[in-house]
Amino acid sequence: MGIPVGMISAIYELPLNTGANRVIRGARIEHVCGDPALGPEKDYAYGMRIVKAAIETLQTPVERPTLFNPLEMDPLPHLATAEAPHAT
Amino acid sequence: MADPLRVVHYINQFFGGQGGEEAAAAPVSLSEGPMGPGRALQQALGADGRVTHTLICGDNFFNERTDEALAAITAHLETARPQVVVAGPAFGSGRYGLACAQVCLAAQKLGIPAVTAMDAENPGALNHRTQVVMVPTGETAAGMAEALAGVARLALKLGRGETLGPASREGYLPQGRRVPFDRGRPGHLRALDMLLDKLHGRPFQTEVPVQMPDRVAPAPPIADLSRATIGLVTTGGLVRKGNPERAVSRMASRFHRHSVKELESLSGNDWEAFHAGYFNHIVNSNPNYILPLSFMRDLQRMGAIGDVFEWMYALPGVGTSVANSRVMGREIAQDLKAGGVDGALLVST
Repeated sequence: MGIPVGMISAIYELPLNTGANRVIRGARIEHVCGDPALGPEKDYAYGMRIVKAAIETLQTPVERPTLFNPLEMDPLPHLATAEAPHAT
Repeated sequence: MADPLRVVHYINQFFGGQGGEEAAAAPVSLSEGPMGPGRALQQALGADGRVTHTLICGDNFFNERTDEALAAITAHLETARPQVVVAGPAFGSGRYGLACAQVCLAAQKLGIPAVTAMDAENPGALNHRTQVVMVPTGETAAGMAEALAGVARLALKLGRGETLGPASREGYLPQGRRVPFDRGRPGHLRALDMLLDKLHGRPFQTEVPVQMPDRVAPAPPIADLSRATIGLVTTGGLVRKGNPERAVSRMASRFHRHSVKELESLSGNDWEAFHAGYFNHIVNSNPNYILPLSFMRDLQRMGAIGDVFEWMYALPGVGTSVANSRVMGREIAQDLKAGGVDGALLVST
């Protein structure tokens, strides 16, 4: 039995077309999990949203290569109020 | 007329008439003349070939005691001295397909050409079709006659020492090699023919087929993330500052693993990216962009996940061949599984 893998990529068409089953849309090629242009707080929040979405895909059943867009999700909602302020 | 080619035929216990699963542990045995599907093979060979011997081995015996089985088969082949070896057809049967492929490889090691037949999705084909000539079949023995006709034709060619043409023309599974041949019409005219066919909605055959990627069955989801150990992998070219392991920046054939057991976050003082496919300076200021350890530690503290696996895996994913990617992916996956990891995040730049 395999283990689920969430693949985070800004060029998400590539993993989708090559058969990755859980694909999470990342920010940009040069900063996949976050965006320094947003400033430290929003950068962290954006990165956290992407990583939470990626973690959420690991508990989500899929049947074929599937794209998850962190900006259109409410990943791990039970944690929404408990985000730690630990900046990178 | 030349003497008929001496052919040795390999089949499993089922086609050898020994029985089904209950006989799958049967060791290697050698009989004279054709047996089971070998009789139809003999008919297909006609006067040009003669099945002198039949090798039979149980599928479980072969796959559980492969070295022993191959040693016995090699000894029999050295005695029988065939000019060509035929194995199968194995159709969709995985153990049988693996056995057929490895029997062909063993024959080839002795300098004896070999051919087998099986479904393109058979593990034997997935693992060995670049090394062994394989006639494609369906998944069931319903296609026996057609498969044997193809096998017999190729066996005669190979046994006579003839060079095979391209896979699509000769009727074997593509081996990932280009075999040049004269198409009888120059390239620019063929291209125009193809364009006209396309514009008129007629069928046409590309000369530059794209290799379709493997399909991997999706793994089942994790039942309880709060107890799960999650592994981290990146193709962003993450290295220790100064790249002491001397990782390459492109066309990787190996990956590096590093312990993150004691780390809360990846600092640009200790880590950097070495990757020829994107500007690395942003990652160098914050390596967590390509290996999100800081976020994972926060999620661990919040109870969203159980733990972060102590090893992380890194390579630069640029210019990497599919073959190398497959090998590295398999090794990383094995390492994760052996470490009790429940799921993984792979960040790709």
